[in-house]
Amino acid sequence: MLPAIGEFALWISLPITLWGAVMAFLGGRWGRGDLVLSAERSVYAVFALLAVASAGIIAAFLTDRFDFWYVSNYSSRNLETYFKVSGLWAGQRGSLLFWALNLGFFSALAVWLNRKKNRDLMPWVSGVLLLVIAFFIGITLFITPPFERLPFTPQDGRGLNPQLQNYWMTIHPPTLYLGFTAFTIPFAFAIASLLSGRLDARWIEVTRKWILTSWFFLTLGIVFGMRWAYEELGWGGYWFWDPVENASLLPWIVATAFLHSVMIQESRGMLKIWNMALVCLTFIMTIFATFLTRSGLIESVHSFALSLEIAYAFLGFMGVTFAISAILILWRLPQLRSDRQFESFLSRESAFLLNNLVLLGAGFAVLWGTMFPLITEGITGSKVSVGPPFFNQVNIPIGLMLLALMGIGPVIAWRRASARNLKKNFLIPTAVGIGTGVVLWVMGVRHLYALLTFAIGVFVLWIIAVEFWKGTRARARIEGENLAIAFTHLVKRNRRRWGGYIVHVGVVVMFMGFAGAAFDREVRQSMVPGESVSITSAFGHTYTLTYEGLSTARAQNMWQWIALMRVERDGQPLGTMTTERRFYEAPPQPMTEVGIRSTAFEDLYVILSTLDEQVGMGNDPQFQRATFQVMVNPLVPWIWYGGLIIAIGTLIAMWPGGPVPQQRAGSTGATPGRRDDEKGPGDPGIGAGADGDRSSAEPARTPVGAAP
Amino acid sequence: MNRDRRFFAGLVGVAAIVTWLIWTGITDTMVYYLTPTELLERMEDGAEQSERMQRGVKVSGDVLPGSLVAHTDELKHQFVVVDPDNRDVQLIVHFRHPLPDTFTDEAEVVMEGRYLGDGIFEATEVLTKCGSRYEALPEDMDDRDAGYGAEDPYAGYGDGDSYAGYGEVYPDAGYGAGELYVEATGEDAYARNGGI
Repeated sequence: MLPAIGEFALWISLPITLWGAVMAFLGGRWGRGDLVLSAERSVYAVFALLAVASAGIIAAFLTDRFDFWYVSNYSSRNLETYFKVSGLWAGQRGSLLFWALNLGFFSALAVWLNRKKNRDLMPWVSGVLLLVIAFFIGITLFITPPFERLPFTPQDGRGLNPQLQNYWMTIHPPTLYLGFTAFTIPFAFAIASLLSGRLDARWIEVTRKWILTSWFFLTLGIVFGMRWAYEELGWGGYWFWDPVENASLLPWIVATAFLHSVMIQESRGMLKIWNMALVCLTFIMTIFATFLTRSGLIESVHSFALSLEIAYAFLGFMGVTFAISAILILWRLPQLRSDRQFESFLSRESAFLLNNLVLLGAGFAVLWGTMFPLITEGITGSKVSVGPPFFNQVNIPIGLMLLALMGIGPVIAWRRASARNLKKNFLIPTAVGIGTGVVLWVMGVRHLYALLTFAIGVFVLWIIAVEFWKGTRARARIEGENLAIAFTHLVKRNRRRWGGYIVHVGVVVMFMGFAGAAFDREVRQSMVPGESVSITSAFGHTYTLTYEGLSTARAQNMWQWIALMRVERDGQPLGTMTTERRFYEAPPQPMTEVGIRSTAFEDLYVILSTLDEQVGMGNDPQFQRATFQVMVNPLVPWIWYGGLIIAIGTLIAMWPGGPVPQQRAGSTGATPGRRDDEKGPGDPGIGAGADGDRSSAEPARTPVGAAP
Repeated sequence: MNRDRRFFAGLVGVAAIVTWLIWTGITDTMVYYLTPTELLERMEDGAEQSERMQRGVKVSGDVLPGSLVAHTDELKHQFVVVDPDNRDVQLIVHFRHPLPDTFTDEAEVVMEGRYLGDGIFEATEVLTKCGSRYEALPEDMDDRDAGYGAEDPYAGYGDGDSYAGYGEVYPDAGYGAGELYVEATGEDAYARNGGI
């Protein structure tokens, strides 16, 4: 019953979406409030209808309705219940509906939050959002119908790909989708701003929290995906530079650039055209990511199905979006002129601009590497391959540049840095960074990029620590608070700035985790129970793993062969760990489950590579012979710690409410380091708005957007 | 004006660095992606013994059923890969790592490695092409009219060209084997039903 209702809901959602879009644009054009109201009600209705449609799909999964093509291809009777729920995004047909649902949710939220604010922008915002939703509903209805029936009811479904039968399946895709779809809101506000001609920084202020929300989910989604790959794909790595992984990275890179460049517009009234271009580019990249993932145009480990209809539909949509954005920006060009000029290379503005250019450069490199095989084949007819070596070779230097800018950006003065500013802020951190590199070199680290990562990383951490310390101490002195309270108040006072610094700390920690890959160790050994293998890590710990034996177990839809290992580190017992071979029944396919034992600095990673063909044929240990691949991956845990720190920092920066950043420079205790630049805008707080000569046309910033 | 020009120079500088990185990256790491036939042709030419071919090459083809020889103890795998378009062209592949879970000896594989001569290819990496698909194969969607029986709908799961392979493992699950179809036998019935 519910599936049928869902299908009906999906069908009627399309005319309502189109009706709403027309009403929104007409209402905006003619200034008719009643039409705009109708459009906004359409947004709510569409969200409700999409929710019903999605519930219909989930109900079809839960009740094993194998007469649905989609269910019969992605589920089976013995599939765990939570994978039946996640069936909504397991395959192409459901996932495009899921995309529309997410977008519907955010659209309804945005419309509701702005029901009494920004009324001049809202008609256009609703219109743009509804058009984007209409595109996805259209695809769902006419190209990838999730409710399509088979002419008969199969006995059972084909089952879900075992690689997807992992708990991350319930977490990673929705997180990424939330990140992708949330970015449509800033895009819609930007377009609304262009259409309505209200080209001040308001669209940025309104969508600041939305940008952070999108970035938060994108970042988490990517990190979750890395963790999933690390646990599941069984090769000891977390990033493969696979086209589908790159597809998720591209919008993240452009969104990161945008996140930084909007601060320049808010504080200095510059880069207006640039920001408009970036917000449109980020949105197009989120669509491009879906296009790359869903069209199967590029061969990938993830190898999603090739579907030319989808490819054309997405290409068309991206082309139209690009054309409209470009035309609108060109049309409004005269009103988007900067309030100010750049004054010096050595200034925060140019550090931010450089950060933007470098990020876009990285994005272009990733895009180029991903598309290069396709382009070459199209032009020359010969097939080539560009793999991880290319991406590493190009992106590691770019990444190091970005890392260095994370240290420079926050403390270099606005407008024009004096020699005194530079000396005061950079002398000691640079010395500490170089010192770190020298110490590591003396300790025997010879890997150039790893040395640079640690040296630059420590440079950045030192700068951020000094900023926190100066701010806290100044506040403690002025307000007479103890350091802990002063610290909390400091962060609360300008959460965006300090949250941003915490994010930077997380990125540094994560980069150090990446650098750990330079010191991976690996051994491979075939063993019978009782035998053991030893491996020495880069940190000098010796792990000894003793193969205790093999056991079998039966789970809901698979058989497991479980190898038990006893682990010792430097002679001290560390307990046991297991690694498995699984044989799934639907679909019939083997899977390897790795064993991971994490310590603060390194992961012991064990793969049950191969089982003897005669396994299980008798009780003799000879029949339990298995080959193991044992790795020690230094600093991989730091990647996850870094991800966690980034998430915390982003949450601090984006959390709704909180005091409006003060207009007084210095009173937050945030500026002692820059008092010497009093002539320049004294406030270092990103967007803290202490810039006294700002044009008064820009309204006081109130946290809106996601804030209730 | 002068300032604008300086910033323009900065922009060009960054663009130049990135372009240089991409250019050297491509020339240093790009490898050819060939079929076994193309690989052997290039190797026989001799002129193609370029630095790039020495660095490595990517080859795709079908595993010859029954050709897999595995020495579990030392993780040595040997199998034969044939050109799908010309099954006489064969490569003997040596691979010293664990095979992917989705590898069967009927899989379509993409390998990276070096050609050692005498028809032997030393692979450093083996990926299966359709076995690792997260999606059901597009044939299922595009060739709806052909019905389920006609197009090898289970190819996506890497376990063979027939329902038989599926049925063995999971006798009641195959679409062709279920009790629902007692009255209708096999592929003709689906075709009569109008396909999917």
